Amino acid sequence: MKVRWGPQHPVSGQWSFFLDVDADVVVGMEPDVGYTHRGIEKVAENRTYIQDVPIVERACIFDAGNFVFGYVEAVEELMGIEVPERAKFIRVIVGEMSRIASHLYWLCLMSIAVGLETMLMWPVNDRELFLDLLEMLTGIRLTYSYFIPGGVRYDLPAGFREETERRMDYFERRLKDYYKMLYLNRTFQMRTKDVGVLKQADAIRMSVVGPNLRGSGVKIDVRKDEPYAAYDQIDFTVPTESEGDTYARSLVRFHEMEQSIFIIREALKKIPSGQIRVNVSPSVPKGEVYSRVESARGELGYYIVSDGGNKPYRLKMSAPSFRSLLSLPQIMRGVPMADVPTLYMSLDLIPLDVDR
Amino acid sequence: MDSRCPITAGKDNEGVVEMTVNIVEDGVAEAVKANFPDAVSEAKTQRRGRVVITVQKDRVVDVALLLKERLGFDYVTSVSGVDYPNRNEFEVVYHIWSISRKILIALKTTVSKDDPRLQSLISVWDAVNYHERETHEMFGIDFIGHPNLTRFLLPEDWDKSPPFRKDFKLPTEPR
Repeated sequence: MKVRWGPQHPVSGQWSFFLDVDADVVVGMEPDVGYTHRGIEKVAENRTYIQDVPIVERACIFDAGNFVFGYVEAVEELMGIEVPERAKFIRVIVGEMSRIASHLYWLCLMSIAVGLETMLMWPVNDRELFLDLLEMLTGIRLTYSYFIPGGVRYDLPAGFREETERRMDYFERRLKDYYKMLYLNRTFQMRTKDVGVLKQADAIRMSVVGPNLRGSGVKIDVRKDEPYAAYDQIDFTVPTESEGDTYARSLVRFHEMEQSIFIIREALKKIPSGQIRVNVSPSVPKGEVYSRVESARGELGYYIVSDGGNKPYRLKMSAPSFRSLLSLPQIMRGVPMADVPTLYMSLDLIPLDVDR
Repeated sequence: MDSRCPITAGKDNEGVVEMTVNIVEDGVAEAVKANFPDAVSEAKTQRRGRVVITVQKDRVVDVALLLKERLGFDYVTSVSGVDYPNRNEFEVVYHIWSISRKILIALKTTVSKDDPRLQSLISVWDAVNYHERETHEMFGIDFIGHPNLTRFLLPEDWDKSPPFRKDFKLPTEPR
């Protein structure tokens, strides 16, 4: 029987799946995407480089920091400019806060997918810790357009460091609560362990990205492989799990939040004083560049071709959810209908970033 | 072991210029050139960790097989189309990452706009599936051998030309 799952399903978001269902078992699945296709790549070709900053971050507002991060890294490489050290550290801090905020949002959706409502409330509340910090720094909570080619827009405000430390200490205690509340919870373990196993070879074959890949035991992280900004000056670890099931992917994201706290603390310790941006010319030399950053959902690539003008000739955004989507039909084969929301949430796919 | 050794070339007004010898990258470019001397029109190292290879369109699958089987390029990161109206052709760019070598290769080929057809690389890398579907939809390039080149991101009733071509103008006035 054919079942259309979404877009009105409470968990699905702005897309749907065509499920082939035999009794209660899913035997085939085809995603129906495009509900939020805005043609961001085309729009970006018609705007100047600086105008594109707010455009590209709309691809994924949950992780706006890292989406602009990749874009400005690409434009700066085309321009051949070096960003001041202080700006690099500020970018790392904002990128990691954006990652934590995004993982917390995933955590609440994952919890509601397995039916734990308290764990829906806690992460949403704690996400405010970081959104407030970002508001303190940039003035805006979500789509802050804070990175621009050449640096960042504002310096750290007075009291930002102390406030961050205070909130980090609190959030670290909260993470311990999360672990007890969710990861040691028998319901959660039963719903996620050995469910939706993605083997290591399959994960590479389908080029899954980010925590989904690291949950299958492949240690790939752009922050380590090709360190950008100030990541080469911070000695963090890349968490991996070998099982490849839903629980492993969830655990990787949990440990990534711990690592993000560590990175933010180190960056605040090591941040030098000095300029926060350099002036850049509005037009960009002829050439092409492929820049990669590690966003919350995984590797994000920007392929920009410049013809020497002040607008990109072509901007291709290789978005993480789009790339992880390919593995969803694979892991949904042969599972009961009740596992569909769990598996969908375990990959942390968002339709906005699939469609662009 | 990192086989790259930085050489400080000298100083100019901008600061220290660091030249890096990219042994691994040059090796990959040379290997591709040596195996397909007639099909590869360009193989060069763009910078550290980036290799660009331009191939004739009828030999893309062979070069891709070499890259995957012999040189360890196993991880697809992106497939892009680029429209060049004044040259009357599309460029299709496959960006492939090698997990073991930590190199990103850009495998480029061009197809004429009059006959935008190209062998699909899905027989080599499964992961190009959705990327090629998107490129087909946005540029109107047909990937021969792709099992499912159906409507993906655009609406079901889309009847205009492929939207990422340069002759498709974004409406700037409200309609």
